[in-house]
Amino acid sequence: MTHDVEQSVMDAMRAPVAIGSERYNTILTFLYHEASLLDNLKISEWGNILATDLLYNIPIRHTRSSRDNAMSVVRTCQHMLDDYRSMLGRIMRLEGNSAWAEDPPSRVRRFITNVLVYETDKADEFLVVSNMLVTRNRFDDDQYDLISGVRTDILRLDEASYKLARREIILDQAVLGTPNLGIFL
Amino acid sequence: MSRNKNELADGTNIADLVRIDTREVQMRTLEDREIYELEQERLFGKTWLMLGHESEIPNSNDFVLRYMGDDSVIVTRTKDGEVHVSLNVCPHRGMKICTTEAGNSPVHTCIYHGWAFRSNGDFLGSPIEKECMHGKIMEKEELGLRKARVTLYGGLIFATWNLEGESFDEFLGDAKWYYDLMFCRSDAGMEVAGPPQRFIVRANWKTAGEQSAADGFHTLMLHRWLGEVGNYKKEGAGSDLAEEMYGAEVSSPHGHALRCIDLARKIRRLTGKEPSELSLEEKLRILPPPGMTAETVDQLKNNLTDDQMEVLAWMPPQVGGMFPNIVFAFIYIPQPDGTVIGSMALHTYVPKGPDKLEFMNWVLVEKDTPPELKEQMVKQTLNLLGTSGMVEQDDSDTWPQMTISAKGPQGSKSTMKYQAIYETSKPKGWPGPGIVNEGFTKDDTQWHWWLYWLELMTAEK
Repeated sequence: MTHDVEQSVMDAMRAPVAIGSERYNTILTFLYHEASLLDNLKISEWGNILATDLLYNIPIRHTRSSRDNAMSVVRTCQHMLDDYRSMLGRIMRLEGNSAWAEDPPSRVRRFITNVLVYETDKADEFLVVSNMLVTRNRFDDDQYDLISGVRTDILRLDEASYKLARREIILDQAVLGTPNLGIFL
Repeated sequence: MSRNKNELADGTNIADLVRIDTREVQMRTLEDREIYELEQERLFGKTWLMLGHESEIPNSNDFVLRYMGDDSVIVTRTKDGEVHVSLNVCPHRGMKICTTEAGNSPVHTCIYHGWAFRSNGDFLGSPIEKECMHGKIMEKEELGLRKARVTLYGGLIFATWNLEGESFDEFLGDAKWYYDLMFCRSDAGMEVAGPPQRFIVRANWKTAGEQSAADGFHTLMLHRWLGEVGNYKKEGAGSDLAEEMYGAEVSSPHGHALRCIDLARKIRRLTGKEPSELSLEEKLRILPPPGMTAETVDQLKNNLTDDQMEVLAWMPPQVGGMFPNIVFAFIYIPQPDGTVIGSMALHTYVPKGPDKLEFMNWVLVEKDTPPELKEQMVKQTLNLLGTSGMVEQDDSDTWPQMTISAKGPQGSKSTMKYQAIYETSKPKGWPGPGIVNEGFTKDDTQWHWWLYWLELMTAEK
């Protein structure tokens, strides 16, 4: 499995899709729609936008010196490392009767910003980089768990819309401030 | 008159928080600053603590930062290959010497005034040598970093501030015989898949700690989904989970605990035969321990006794813990295609105040696990355990609620009960040592965990 996200971003930088163009707008609409599905707990509908060759991973972050900063993203062990099949397993669990970590469900809001879109060497695939801020609140907590990071996605054209084929989320915390990743980012 | 050192500020005797006759523990233990501070001294300042695995620092001058209780420590490998653990506090003005989580450096220099230390913690010197800015009152030998006592066990790094206390082997006691089945069984040994996952759970560390002492029972309810939509779902209705709760449980006077789960059902499913019809070698080849293969199980006899191999093929330890804050999972997970893939993980629950813990999760593999199997194991482990693990998500959502319960004036006086008591003893023909009981999971192991907590909390100096 390739993890060379930075390289694919660099390669794609050569072919940005203009902000405000029709292509950009349809992709932005897809991202907003996706966030709305998850915020509103339409988990199995979210499952329908996943490509069957999906790779979804969340590396560990390490506090490293400036010199070693390239090593601050760790992909040997990760917080999450899923494919389509395992993601369907997660969805099945959440749709079942006893997924206590999300029952009652967290109140979650996904803020997706700084969206940049690039063409790739495949005509039907686009590389999408976005910032993400997720607020998560549970039970009587007066505080929010904040989860922030940058997402690098590959979206694949699928008739009128897109499928999510690849997502890597680089988080901004070395020690996550939320008790689990029982929600999708 | 100074009060009894085992008495809390309000006059409560610590010993009264644990009711021996009725096997109850007061919830107050889960949310009390004073108890927390005593634990830092009497538990985390005394027992052996797990800090990681030596495969995290394979090269000389490699280091990682870890915690011993509330103290940050630097775990290093020196040029001679030795592992050292030093307090990450500059003896000069108390600045953290090391501010990065991992790296490689022969010298650790404090960024405040520049006092420098070798990777074994010895003081090297301070800048502007001719001015002797470390003064002349203390010798250089006295200005090194405070060093913990270190031992390696099966590649795991343990350290303690108790320089003269019991040895690590004494600490493990009879339980070592069983831990050897996991950590000391193969020729090449274990390695970590990578650095640990780290995340915060707003719960007292003991909510996780007492569960780590082999709480099998919670699996049936808290992890019920496993029998509803997961790998243990039976064809048709119902679940196999309850049957997975039978086996033998090992307790220890030192609070260690292991749940040894019978492999008979898995072996029957894989072979269609009764385990009694198969030889020891056949059983191990059919269902090798997690991370091992039909090819590498031959190594077991190089490292284990016949008795140990018998338990490994019959009822191997699959979940449990090591006092005070360690959990292990060495589990055999049935796959949709009928095969079995193992998962291995170790957690520590690092205390971060009375109502906060840091969950650290190391994923383990055998060094000579074939790469493709390694990848499958790591993926499966991340899927089930730790940050996003479908099993442990439910645990990390439970412990905060217990901690909140303990804050209520009535809740704090409520008790946790450990009254499901074994009335059996060792399984017939069981060759292993220690306190062992057969049957459906009970509360004994967790009760022993609390008894050792109490012993340390009330120990004479």
